[in-house]
Amino acid sequence: MQIDWLTVAAQIVNFLVLVWLLQRFLYKPITNAMRRREERIEERLSEAKSARTEAEEEAEALRRKKAELEDSKEEILDAAREEADALRERLETEIREETEEKRAAWREHLAEERDAFATSLRRKAGKQVLEVTERVLSDYADSDTADRVVATFAKRLKALDAETREKMTSAAAEDGQTAVVHTGSALSGSAKGRITRAIHETLSSDIEVDYREDAEMVLGVRLTIGDYTAEWSAMRYLKRLETELGEIIDAGTHAGGKGEDEAAVDDENAGEGDGRDTRREDHETA
Amino acid sequence: MEISPDAWVLYEWRGLRLTATVVFTWAVMALLVIGSWAVTARISEDETVSRWQVMLEVIVTRIRDQIDEVGAETPERYLPFIGTLFLFIATANLLTIVPGYQPPTGSLSTTAALAICVLIAVPLFSIARRGLAGYLRTYIRPTPLMLPFNIISEASRTLALAIRLYGNVMSGTVIVGILISVAPFFFPVLLQLLGLLTGLVQAYIFAILAMVYIASASQSRKDADGGANTETAKGD
Repeated sequence: MQIDWLTVAAQIVNFLVLVWLLQRFLYKPITNAMRRREERIEERLSEAKSARTEAEEEAEALRRKKAELEDSKEEILDAAREEADALRERLETEIREETEEKRAAWREHLAEERDAFATSLRRKAGKQVLEVTERVLSDYADSDTADRVVATFAKRLKALDAETREKMTSAAAEDGQTAVVHTGSALSGSAKGRITRAIHETLSSDIEVDYREDAEMVLGVRLTIGDYTAEWSAMRYLKRLETELGEIIDAGTHAGGKGEDEAAVDDENAGEGDGRDTRREDHETA
Repeated sequence: MEISPDAWVLYEWRGLRLTATVVFTWAVMALLVIGSWAVTARISEDETVSRWQVMLEVIVTRIRDQIDEVGAETPERYLPFIGTLFLFIATANLLTIVPGYQPPTGSLSTTAALAICVLIAVPLFSIARRGLAGYLRTYIRPTPLMLPFNIISEASRTLALAIRLYGNVMSGTVIVGILISVAPFFFPVLLQLLGLLTGLVQAYIFAILAMVYIASASQSRKDADGGANTETAKGD
């Protein structure tokens, strides 16, 4: 057992050199490598963790968005449904109103047509009656129709009561002793003379008579003095005929109106209606 | 029979003798450094690691864990010193299976050098950590009366470190030599195997004791007592 102090010193130096060398070649590289690896793994783990958190957040956000979308989808559907209902109601109301308007217009039109028809019918019937009457008169009377009319007029004039005569006379005096006689057709001179004579006899001999034609009268005579009028004409018969015809037409229209209502009901039931068709059918009914 | 490689002088120049101790120490150093360099030159920081690097990582990690277990707060501070003690002694002892090799740890000069290194390292680490006053205060704890005993303890444990390692390694060599002359072939091989185990255990004991001394000098009084207990337990 001996100690060589030189060797001890050398070994101390050797040991310190070894410490330095191993620190340089072993401990530092190894620990650094391990530390870096750990850091990298840690980094990757944290990255994975953050990625996972991010993914979870995103998933949560997407879930929320989906729920919102579903909610809003329901809302939108409800709103659309309500809107559609409102639109349908509005359209129905509009269509109903339009139908009502059309129906009213059609009724108006129908009434106008009926009036026009009645007027033309009246004229034609009047003319027909006149012709018939004239023929009858000319066939069975010994004077012409105008003379009979004049005679009838003169008779009527003479048959006026005293009060009316007086009023007419005073009216003629106010009006400058003029009277206007309207006839359906031109009168002969003798006929005019008879009327003038009748007026002079009945009212006043100072009255001047002015003869005018009025096609609308058809047949007859109308004396107008101021505000007073005395008339005998076929118009009265014609008006009676018109009244009767109007009653007949009204009755027919009434029956046609019923038919029209039924047709309208049918149209509503059918869902689709054409106003023109309805009108035509009703016209045929009328 | 030479019981110490110190007596084996390979070269002498003007009174400076190059003994086998120094030469074998250099051999061990070269083995350690070249081996480490060969692995760490191609070090990998990825998950794919070579098996040699894994071996070195395991060794370094284990040494660091042992230092940590003794109670040092920052194992990296003590890793080069303690780790080198262990690796050097272990390698020097394990190489005894190489024929013609004389372990440098079988020389009292080497063990004394290592013990002196520990003797110097303990106050250096302690002062670096707690300051000079803090280190000196450890000598008068628990009471100033303990000052002489602490100084004696410091000297005796250094001596014990040196003698323990020297005795174990040298005795192994000597016993093998004696057994070869008495019962050749079989028993020396067993004793060689036992010597490998003893050599590794001695390396562990030396390194751990060094760490315990350093830790006890660097830590608080309570921990220092714990460290002293550990020392008692580890002493053979």
